[in-house]
Amino acid sequence: MSAREVLREALRLLVAHKLRSTLTLFGIVWGTAAVIFLVGWGRGVRDKLELGFFKAGRNMGEVWAGRVSEEFTPATDRRFLWFTSDDVAVLRRRARLPALIGAEAWELLPAAAGGRGLTVDVRGIEPEVHEIRGIPIAAGRGINRSDVSQRRRVVLLGDLVRRRLLGPQGRVGAWVRIAGIPFQVVGLFAPVGTQLASDRYYVDEQVWVPISTVQALWPSPWSEEPVVTKIVYRMRERALLEETEREVRAILASRLHVAPDDDEAISIWSSVKMFNRLPIEQMRGLFFVLAVATLGIGGIGVMNMMLDSVHERRREIGLRLAVGARRRDVVAQFFAETFCVTASGGLAGAALGILVCVLLRSARLPELAPVPVLGADTVVAALVVMVGVGVLAGVIPAWRAARVDPAGTLRME
Amino acid sequence: MSAAAAEPVIRLDGVRKVYATGSLEVHALRGVDLEVRAGEFVAVMGPSGSGKTTLLEILGCLSRPSAGRYWLAGAEADAIPADALARLRGEAIGFVFQSFNLLPRQSAVENVELPLVYRGVPRRERRRRALSALERVGLAHRAAHRPAELSGGERQRVAIARALVNRPTLVLADEPTGNLDSHTGEEILALLHSVHAEGNTLVVVTHDAGIGRRAGRTIAIRDGRIERDSRSVAPEARP
Repeated sequence: MSAREVLREALRLLVAHKLRSTLTLFGIVWGTAAVIFLVGWGRGVRDKLELGFFKAGRNMGEVWAGRVSEEFTPATDRRFLWFTSDDVAVLRRRARLPALIGAEAWELLPAAAGGRGLTVDVRGIEPEVHEIRGIPIAAGRGINRSDVSQRRRVVLLGDLVRRRLLGPQGRVGAWVRIAGIPFQVVGLFAPVGTQLASDRYYVDEQVWVPISTVQALWPSPWSEEPVVTKIVYRMRERALLEETEREVRAILASRLHVAPDDDEAISIWSSVKMFNRLPIEQMRGLFFVLAVATLGIGGIGVMNMMLDSVHERRREIGLRLAVGARRRDVVAQFFAETFCVTASGGLAGAALGILVCVLLRSARLPELAPVPVLGADTVVAALVVMVGVGVLAGVIPAWRAARVDPAGTLRME
Repeated sequence: MSAAAAEPVIRLDGVRKVYATGSLEVHALRGVDLEVRAGEFVAVMGPSGSGKTTLLEILGCLSRPSAGRYWLAGAEADAIPADALARLRGEAIGFVFQSFNLLPRQSAVENVELPLVYRGVPRRERRRRALSALERVGLAHRAAHRPAELSGGERQRVAIARALVNRPTLVLADEPTGNLDSHTGEEILALLHSVHAEGNTLVVVTHDAGIGRRAGRTIAIRDGRIERDSRSVAPEARP
């Protein structure tokens, strides 16, 4: 029997056994589509969490000073602590592990323009902070070195601040007052949206100005020196989270004369740490198990259908052998049949799964709503497993039936 | 019968067949010696369980003997490799079964074509030969019908057309009239008889004494052994 002949015969038989073919097909379509969707969904959830968590800085650590803990000092001597620009300079000089270090000085202040006003999160920053936090600027420029050295009264507005103070026409070059002092807008942040991890206000409600400007205009009541509210740094990679934190902590602790393990005195927070604590892998594992279970159930369905079909066709196998079919003709026929069913079902299922993913991706959903992410590897794996199981389930029993004497299969009633 | 002197189509020498079902051994054949010459019409008769179907299966190379030797047209069946044996079954042997064994989802003509498919005959030629075989059994007008749309006699005639379509040297039939009423059985019998008259070698397993009378030779089997082997004087008496 030629390959064409085998294929023609297979297609004819499939059409002849419509119900059986359809049921088998359905199992495979469902299994394949479900796997593609579930695995894609798992990826989507992870991606959205990652997006939401790292909007205000990827691979970033944040350090602030508090108070000496009771464990390390008599209760009467619980000093309040703060960092100064000198501490930042020393940290920059001595720390090897952070890729980049930047200082921030924060205030919560009223901002106003054209009769409109709101309280904003004022962040005095060093230019490095732009790179560490990586928040996209929609128009204008960021804070640069000469802004800092000359204590310029220039400001970048978060998207919400811009809309509230300047309206939709708000442009670079406009003026806003912060605590009554006029600042010129040099840049506008792109909208950032919901953040799953944030310190104080969302980026959209922040305004960024040179750190030296904040330190000069609103000096700390505690210190003569320029005070730094927060030191941010970027680690070289997430795996170095702990080491980097340890190094930074050790250097700053010696500067403040506190115990390095006093984490009330020096606090370090990282969205990476928090992200790592999320049960994302477990969740993806669950999705994966669900997907595998679906695939398994689909596979068992297909297998059952195929076994059944081969069993009920043992006489047919016997007859075919009796009229001159070689064993390999029978196996080839069953292979062609099962392959046609499972492959077309698998392709249809892949198409369905992909379609659902694409539709969900193009649907108008909240920004952080997880949407399935398509992976070629998932599609291929789902197809290979479903088609493989189907074909094996069809071919192995046919091969076994064709192996015995035709008399045996013919006598079966 | 000039063919009687020719090379035997079938030669069995001490053929035994044992089926092992669990711990139980069933001796279906206990040493059968048999020669059938080309053009003979042999009826194999015997009670149920006597081993006649097993004998037919071995003659048709559907099953191999547990012991003993079988020569089909001079070639030892046991020595023929599986693929060649499959070809032999398709080309040299035609089977007719009690329960017809037609493929239910395929039309009469497609059923008849089946042996030609495995022989690699091109499609058009296949259809032509299958139709002429159906014509031979008087069913050309039912070619497009499925088995379910045919009567029992018609189904068996389709099966006979299938057995004949490759012009086999040996036609084997297992209770061909067993599932038919006596009138239809007569028709099938007449058909088999004409098949024999055209020069085919025919071995029929049957309970039907009518077939036994028409056959030129009757072999009685009991308990896996040939009990009697008798030739009628005038095998072609009733064409």
